[in-house]
Order: sequence, then structure tokens, then C-alpha cells
Amino acid sequence: MSALAKQMPTWAVELKNPPAHQSKQAGLPDPPGFPSSQSAATSKSRSQKKDAKDSKVAQRKPPTPEEMDTLKLKKAWEVALAPIKSLPMTAIMMYMSGNSLQIFSIMMVFMAFKNPIMGILTTNQAFERFETESNKARILQVKLAYVAMQLVALALGVWKVNSMGLLPTTRSDWLAWETQREPVERAVHAL
Amino acid sequence: MHLQHPASRLSLSHLLAAALTCTLTYFPQPVGAVFRDEVGHIDYHHALLGLPQRETTFFHRPRRDDRASLLYTLSDLGILGAVHPGSGEIVWRQDLRSGGDDIYDDDDENVGDGDGFGLGFTRAGEGEGWIVSALGRAVHAWDAVSGRNQFSVRFDNGVVRDLEVMEMTEQEGGRRKDVLALVEEGAATVLRRLNPTDGSVVWEFREVTRDVPLQVSTNVEKVFVVSLKGTAGAYNLKVTVLDTLTGKRLDEMVLGTKADVHGKKDVMFVGANSAAPILAWTDDARQTLRVNVLGTKTRQEFALPPDTFAVEIHAPHLIQSQPHFLVHSKTSTGHKGEVFHVDLKTNTISKAYSLPMLPGPGAFSTSSSGASVYFTRITEDEVILLSSQSHGVLGRWPLKIGGSKAVAIHLVSEVIKKAGPEESYAVRSAAVTDADNWVLIRNGEELWARPEGLTGGVTATFAEIPDREELAKSLEQEAHSSPLQAYIHRVKRHIHDLQYLPAYLNSIPSRVMSSILGTDVAPTAGKLVRDSFGFHKLVVLATKRGRVYGLDAGNNGKVLWSTRAFKIPKGRRWDVKGIQADESSGQTTILGSKDDFVVLKTDTGDIIDSRAPNPEATTQGAALVDTPSGQQLLRIGPDGKIEDLPAARAPSQTVVTRTADGQLKGVIFVANGTNSRAFTSWVFSLPKGQRVVSIATRPPHDAVASIGRVLGDRTVKYKYLNPNTLVLGAVDHSSRMLVVYLLDTVSGQVLWVSKHNGIDASKPIECAMAENWFVCTYFGQYALRDNSAQSLKGYQVVVADLYESDKPNDRGPLGDAATFSSLDPIDVPTGVVLPSVVSQSYVLSAPISALQVTQTRQGISSRQVLAYLPESHGIVGIPRMVLEPRRPVGRDPTPAEAEEGLIRYHPAIEIDPKSVITHERDVLGVGKIITSPAVVESTSLVFAYGVDIFGTRVAPSFLFDILGKGFNKLALVGTVLALLAGVVTLAPVVKRKQVNMRWEAPM
Repeated sequence: MSALAKQMPTWAVELKNPPAHQSKQAGLPDPPGFPSSQSAATSKSRSQKKDAKDSKVAQRKPPTPEEMDTLKLKKAWEVALAPIKSLPMTAIMMYMSGNSLQIFSIMMVFMAFKNPIMGILTTNQAFERFETESNKARILQVKLAYVAMQLVALALGVWKVNSMGLLPTTRSDWLAWETQREPVERAVHAL
Repeated sequence: MHLQHPASRLSLSHLLAAALTCTLTYFPQPVGAVFRDEVGHIDYHHALLGLPQRETTFFHRPRRDDRASLLYTLSDLGILGAVHPGSGEIVWRQDLRSGGDDIYDDDDENVGDGDGFGLGFTRAGEGEGWIVSALGRAVHAWDAVSGRNQFSVRFDNGVVRDLEVMEMTEQEGGRRKDVLALVEEGAATVLRRLNPTDGSVVWEFREVTRDVPLQVSTNVEKVFVVSLKGTAGAYNLKVTVLDTLTGKRLDEMVLGTKADVHGKKDVMFVGANSAAPILAWTDDARQTLRVNVLGTKTRQEFALPPDTFAVEIHAPHLIQSQPHFLVHSKTSTGHKGEVFHVDLKTNTISKAYSLPMLPGPGAFSTSSSGASVYFTRITEDEVILLSSQSHGVLGRWPLKIGGSKAVAIHLVSEVIKKAGPEESYAVRSAAVTDADNWVLIRNGEELWARPEGLTGGVTATFAEIPDREELAKSLEQEAHSSPLQAYIHRVKRHIHDLQYLPAYLNSIPSRVMSSILGTDVAPTAGKLVRDSFGFHKLVVLATKRGRVYGLDAGNNGKVLWSTRAFKIPKGRRWDVKGIQADESSGQTTILGSKDDFVVLKTDTGDIIDSRAPNPEATTQGAALVDTPSGQQLLRIGPDGKIEDLPAARAPSQTVVTRTADGQLKGVIFVANGTNSRAFTSWVFSLPKGQRVVSIATRPPHDAVASIGRVLGDRTVKYKYLNPNTLVLGAVDHSSRMLVVYLLDTVSGQVLWVSKHNGIDASKPIECAMAENWFVCTYFGQYALRDNSAQSLKGYQVVVADLYESDKPNDRGPLGDAATFSSLDPIDVPTGVVLPSVVSQSYVLSAPISALQVTQTRQGISSRQVLAYLPESHGIVGIPRMVLEPRRPVGRDPTPAEAEEGLIRYHPAIEIDPKSVITHERDVLGVGKIITSPAVVESTSLVFAYGVDIFGTRVAPSFLFDILGKGFNKLALVGTVLALLAGVVTLAPVVKRKQVNMRWEAPM
């Protein structure tokens, strides 16, 4: 090993066994805003107020659980309203793609149905990270709003399908199930 | 910028709509032209003339300096044609019936009465390049080579009774040969001599007597007009002698024949242009033949062989021929010929020699070459050539007519004396056989045979090729036994079927090859097998002469079999009321009007059961009706009278019949114990002056795919689908009006009436009906839309759609009722349910007749109205989309309408040559078209008959369910094989390369 190490160039040896991390050289100051200098400053100021036994933890005041809940709720509302924000764009694209049966419009319709349904099915997963014991009730409202938004998106898909004529809403769609009226009497011609 | 955006979008959507409209407007109807490679593959055509008649068939040299001759005939249907004697191909044809005379409506004795006179006359002048014909009121001359008309003369108030070509040696006229036409104009007998170049009258001889003009004959110096003088039933023969140059009467003589001559038929023969024309008749008992040389007063008598029932006289027609003639007497056991010579100086007739009596039927013909006259005799097994001079046989050949044993009925012959050291002769004879074929026999061998008996079809039907009976039987057996037994039976049957496996495996390569190369699978020899597409069907055709033919519609319309059902007398027609092919039993039943019927096997033509027409039969028609004891044949007496029937045999339907005075009536049967009485449930009488011209009903197989029509806005207009309807066209001759009635045949209720003015009743007026619509065509008057004071006349077609209600999404007053009864009014104020009718008329660019609607298996494909074009001799398929009555009038269709396929109404429908399904074929005289569905939905089989036979397949919505011939299977298979070969060769290369890459050191 040592023989090998002797043969190897220095850079290779260093690459293999990196030298121990040298602590910061004394003469070089940290750049402004670097945590060490900041923390030093704050610790200095804070040390005046209270004991600096745990200076690292006490760098910033942690948010209170209430604040945390509010924040999470805000975030959850953002997630809940996300589907409706993309609706105008989707609507325009749907309008532009026309009512004929083409691969583009079929894919759009498929997505228009898949996304809301998948969203509704994964409602709980979507809000899992925002849910806490305390904001459960309020998150439920958000969830309901989310489902409503997804339903609106779904309605857009339904509107599209309807405008494509795929919904059996007209009389002609049920024509095949209607039967011919049979005559009671029959006549035979001998002309 | 802001404004531009919506504007551009607007124009885009407009453009889209416009493009859609354009697409639908300019490619509105799928007009499928026939592709070149389909000709002769999907369609077949028998170009026919009709059965040649004895007096109007002859060989003639159309060019004086050319030895080649053509065979000319005027058939019993009134078709004049020239046939190439070498190949049997038609050179030209002319339909003489198209002059406006309906020959079948004429009750005259001469017309259509075959015995001795036949229908029409044709003559050719020796050495002249024209032939002249007469039928009804018109005389035409035709170019003998091209068939072009040289002149037409029409005698509006007379009927042509005879036609002759004067063998003239007139000095001032040069070598002109004039035409003599004997015309009967009421009580007057008129003989006109016509110039053959332009038909102008050279002179006219007119005699107003009550005599019946019979024939005209000439010798070199004189013209003889033979007429019957006296009262009906006992005539004397009057011979008027005329001067050839001026037409002045020179002499007149009457031969006392009152005891023998009762009508035109009793005069056997009036000598044609021989040097000494003769007049011959027999006594009633056919014991003596009486002959008079025209121009003399004497008559000579000759004894006929005992038991003679018919006598024919054969004499040459040329002036330079020797005045010899042959008397052909037919007895019940054999036939005999006797040759007589006329002495030109003394005008005496002497018997030269007699030919031996031969058993069985036979026929003679005369042919002359120069002065010599030859007689050709055809017996059942020999062709014998004789000279008129002596009884020595010049040539004798055994007769070989291919296929069945045929007996010649009459023939024309051409004898060629071969140059050479020893005398040898060649003879070719065109003979009409008793199988209604026209056969050319050259030296005893059949050169060609034309199935002329296929003409004059009166009814036809498509029939399925009968399935193997065992299969049907065993399937039935399986259905009736217990499941286990049925299973064992089926396994046994399948093991039994294994014996066909090797043959099936053997046939696979050839089938694959033929499928790839696009050729047809070779039909299994002599076996009729259905094909999977349902194109291979049989057509059973009954002709007016009493013959029934079986044609193979899947194999170029080949005649599979022909059977004489009944012997119909010449000039009469077999009046057939109905034909029905029963698929399960493989039998076809044909019903006649005279209490006659015939049941035959569809695939072989073997007659299973028949009853001959009874002349005294008192039936008007027959119908197959449903009774408690199965389907039964119901006979309808004259005047539509139906007898009371036992209850078990009484029909459950209303029977619609016609009465003698043109009424329609419906008859129902009411059970009364074991009997059931016939009651007239309704009578439909036309207003005074109207006459029924056309009746159309829905076809028996009329599949309806959808009970409504979906409109552009997705609403539904429900079709009025009543199977008990008929369309009746009636013409009022005095006011020249056509009235179209739509009748309910259960209640007799008039559902709809339309009137059309300015009708020409002599032009075809026909109707056809299918599903919920009908079409009628007529020649009538119409007013212009922009100037209603101006009116024009033209061929028109009116189409009417029947719907349940005017409003969409409405099923009319009956609502959702599952059944309806025509006899049960729904409520008092409205009474019966009347359909809502949408109707529209179109002007056609050509007359059409023989309307028929295509039929497909499920009725999904769009329809075509097939019609015969009598003037261009073709069959056109007019798409139903063009004949749509809902086409918007005076405006462009809205996008919704365009989506529905409606195009803007345009009053004129041009007959598109692409839609003519007969393409370049000249299909003459189609009287009726029948259609039948195939197994594949896209296709409808078509068969047209009348004079010609034509059959094809049409796909009104294109061939969407089978690959056309244009599909290149070879390229497809070739591509797959090439790809496979590429993969197989490249795979090891690629593998080696990949392995090598693994072994290469990373550099």
C-alpha cells in the first residue's frame, strides 16, 4: 500500500484520501451575511437579554402552532384553488380544438376527465401535509372547496363532451332502442 | 389588434363551415362509377334479339362485291338485327317497337300471331346494301352494314300488311330496286311503291273494298296483290294484277276457296319474288294441297301424306332462280318433302321427286346461288343437302349440336359450291331449335349457339343456391334431440367431416394465390356452392314462350339449365302472376293466371309438379296467403271474385284484388263455423275517366335499419312504416292528368293524393316504393318558378317521403303505441292516422322506365333508384340522396342541413354517365329490373330482363365491407415478406456487432 502510495502522484493520493478539512483560516473574515458572522452578531445582542446557552436554536423565534396552522391553511387554500386557475386556459384550448373527433380533442377530453377525478380521489393525500390535529375542521372546508373546484373542472369536460355530441341527451341517441310500430292487420296483394 | 382577433376567428369558423358545405355539396352523392377491371367480372350481359322468325330471317351480302354475308333477322319481339355468321356476335340491332306502337296492345290478327305471318316483315334486295323492314305502321330501311337508318315512312292511318322488294329491271331507274308496301287503311287496301333511297312514293294503288289485304308478290312484269274477299270464315282469294311501272290495275281474278280458307292462316304461302310466284292453300283436313300460279286462273291439286297436320312451302326468293319449290309436310310421326317444278311457259306445276319420309321432326330451308336452288334438310341427327333438280344427295353430315339433343324448328341456309375437280359443297344453316336457341350449324357441326329464348322474360327472381340437404337435416335433428345426444351427434358429424379436410387443405394454396393475385377462386367443377359474400346466387327466369331458365348470377350469368314448363302457342304469352323461390326446400314455384303452376328444383330445373294452363280457366290471379294450415295458394277468379273457403284454408290477411272495371278491392274472410265467408271490406274506385297505369308496393324484403331520420339538430323525424300501403298511378286521358294515390290496403283509405298535369300517357309512367318513400316517373308539364305563367314539358320524377308527424321528435297521434290498426281510428275528430308527406319533383334529362330500388341485407346502406334508360339503352342508378324531397329550395342549406347531407334543391337531375351501371354496354329493351340483397351489407345484386339479360352488383354506399380489386394484396404481402427477410438477414449482423462492442476495451 505504502509502496503504491509512494508511486502515486500526490493529487491521486489526495483524491483517494482527502486531507482533513482545514478550519477556516483566522485571517480571512466571513463574507457579509454569512451565518457565522450573523449568528455572532445576534448572539452578541441576544446574550445581553438572555443566556446564550443554546445560541444555535435560538437563532430565530420559531412560529407558534397557531401561526403554523394559519400558514398551512393558507397553503392549503392555494392548493384547493389551483384547479380553477387553469380552467380559462383549458376552456380556450377546448374551444379551439373544435368539436370533431380527432386525436387532439379526444386527448383533451380524456385529460379533462382524468385530472378532476384523480384529484378528487387523491384529496386526502393532497392535503395530508397541511393537516394537523388542530386545523382539521378548517382543512375540511378547504377539502370541500377543492372537491367543488374539481367538479367545476369536470363540468367543463362534460360541457366539452356534450358539445362534441357524445352525450346521449337527444332523441336520436335513443332511436336504436325504439321499436317499429307493428301493424295488427296484414294485406296481401294479388294484383 | 384587439378587433382583429375575433374577426379572424369568425372568418375561420365561416371558412370551416363553408369547407364542410363545399365537401358535401360537391361530393354529395357517392356515385360509384364502374371500374374498368370490374367489367365482365361483376357484371354480365347477354345481347340478344329474340327468337328469329321463319319468314324474316335470311343471309344477305351487304356489299355487292364482297362475298361475306351477314345473317339478318327480325325477331318475334320486333328487334331487327344483323349477326356475324362466323362468330355469332351482333353487328347491329334496332328496336322497331320504339316507334310508339305498343305491339302487344294491338289485338290485330296479324300482329303477334305467329302462324304463317309472324310479327313484321324484313326483306333485302339481292345485291343491295340495305334491308327494309316493316312493323306495325312504319316502314324503315337500314344500311345493311352499319344498321343506320336510311329512311322511315310512317302510315298513320294504316297497318303494313306485307312488304316486298321489286326485283326490277326497270330501264329509266337503272339498277334500282324499289320497295312495295301493302298497307291496310281501314276498308282500303293501299299498295305503295317506295323509292329505297329516300322512301318517297313512286306510285300508289288504292282500292276501297272490304277485302282483307293478305300479301303482295311480283314477278318480272307484274305486281300481284292477294287479298281475301268475302265474309269472315269463308273467303275467296282475290288476286289483283298491277302494272309495275304505273301501278294501274291490269286484271283481277278470284279463286273460289270458300270451303278451304277461313282466315289468313289458311293461306299457306304466297310465292315471293320467284319467277313464277305461287299461291298455295290446303283443305281443312290437310289432305290435298292446292296451288295456283299467280296470274293464272287455274289451280292444281296434290295429295298430301296421310296424317299431315302442318304444311310448309319453301321456295327461292330470287328472280334468276329456277321456279322450284318444296312442300314440307309434317305428320305426327315424321316429316316428308316433295319438290315441285313450275313450267314457266305453260304455268303448269309438276312433281319432280319426293324425299323419303323420315321419322321424327325435321326442317327444310331453301338457298339459291345463281339459278340453282338447294334444299337443306335437318333431321334429328343429320344435315342433308339436296339440289332442286334431282333427288341426288349433294352432301350429308352427321348433326352434332352440343349438349342436349335439340330439334331444329326452322332454319335458313347458305350453300357454297366449292371450286375443285369434284363437286363438293359447304352449307351453313342458322336454325332455331325447340330449346329456343339459335344455332349455326356448319356442315353438321355447331359453330355457335345464341340463347335467344332468354328474351321475352315475364318474371324472374333471385334464388339462393340450395344448401346441402344433409347439413340442414342433421342440424334439425340436433335441435330436436336431448343435449347429450345432440352433442354426441355433433361430434360424430365433425369426425365425419374430417374426410373433407385433405381436400380443404389442398385447396388452401390455390385459394391464397388467387386471393393475392385477385383472380376468382375457380368454381368447383360442376358444383354450385354459395360464397361467403352472398354474390353467388341463381336467377330463375320465366319467359313468355313458356320456358324457364336458371342462370348463375355468380358466374357471368351462365345458363345453368332451361326447361320448357309449358308449350305456349306462338304469339301468345305465358301470363305469369307470381314467382317464389323457397330457400329451405330449394324449389321455385311459378304461378300463372290460367290456373297453371309449375314447381321446379332451383338448382337443376327438374319439374317437380305442374299443371298446364287451362284456356277456359276462370282465374285472374293467384296469391300466396297465410292460413291456419300454413301458406296456401289462393286463386282469384275473374273480376277479383274469391270463393268462400273452409275455415282452415281461409287467409288471415286482407287480399287485395282488382275488379274487371279497374277498381281495387280488399277481401277479408270471416269464419263462420267450419266455413269462412269472403267479404269485401273496401272498394277503391277511381273517378270517372281515370285508368290505372302503375301500381307499386313495398318489396317483400325491405329491411329498415332505423325507424327515424336523424336531423342536423339531433332530433328525429319518425318514418311512416306501414307495410300495408301501395302507390297507384292513374291517368285521366281527357284532362291529361296523372293522379298518384297512396292507399292503405287494409282499410282502403286514401292516405295521400298528388296530381300532375299535362301528362303524355304514351310515355312510361311508373312508380316504385321502398321503406317510407316512393318515386314515380312520368312525362308531364311543369311551371317555371320565376315565371309561373310559362310552362314546359319534360320527363319528371316525383319523390315523396312519408313521416309519422310533421314535427321532429314526435311519433304522431299514436304516440308510443307498439301496434297500430288501420281499421281502428284513434279518435273521432282526426279519424285515421295520415302520414306527413314531404314531396318534391325533379326534371330528368332522359326518360326512365322499369324503376326499382336497391335492396341490401339490413337496409343500412343508402339506396339507389335503378331505372332503364330506353333511349340510351342503359341502366342508371340515381342515388336516393339526389332524389331527396327535403332538399332546401331557393337557399343554401344551413350547416345543420349540410351535416345531414342535404344539398340545395336544383330542379334538373342530369343523368350522370358515371352512375350508369351498364357503362358502355348496349342493353336493349329492359322491361323489368329485380334486386336482391347479398350477405355483405354494402352490395345489392341487380338483374335486368326483357330483351337483353344484364346483371351486376351495385354498392350505393361504396364497398365499405369488402376489399375492392384495387386493393393491392401483392404489395402488402410483398412488403411483409421483404421486412421479414430484412429482419432475418440483419439480426445476426446486429448481434455480432453488439458482442464485438462488449469486447472492445474502453479507450
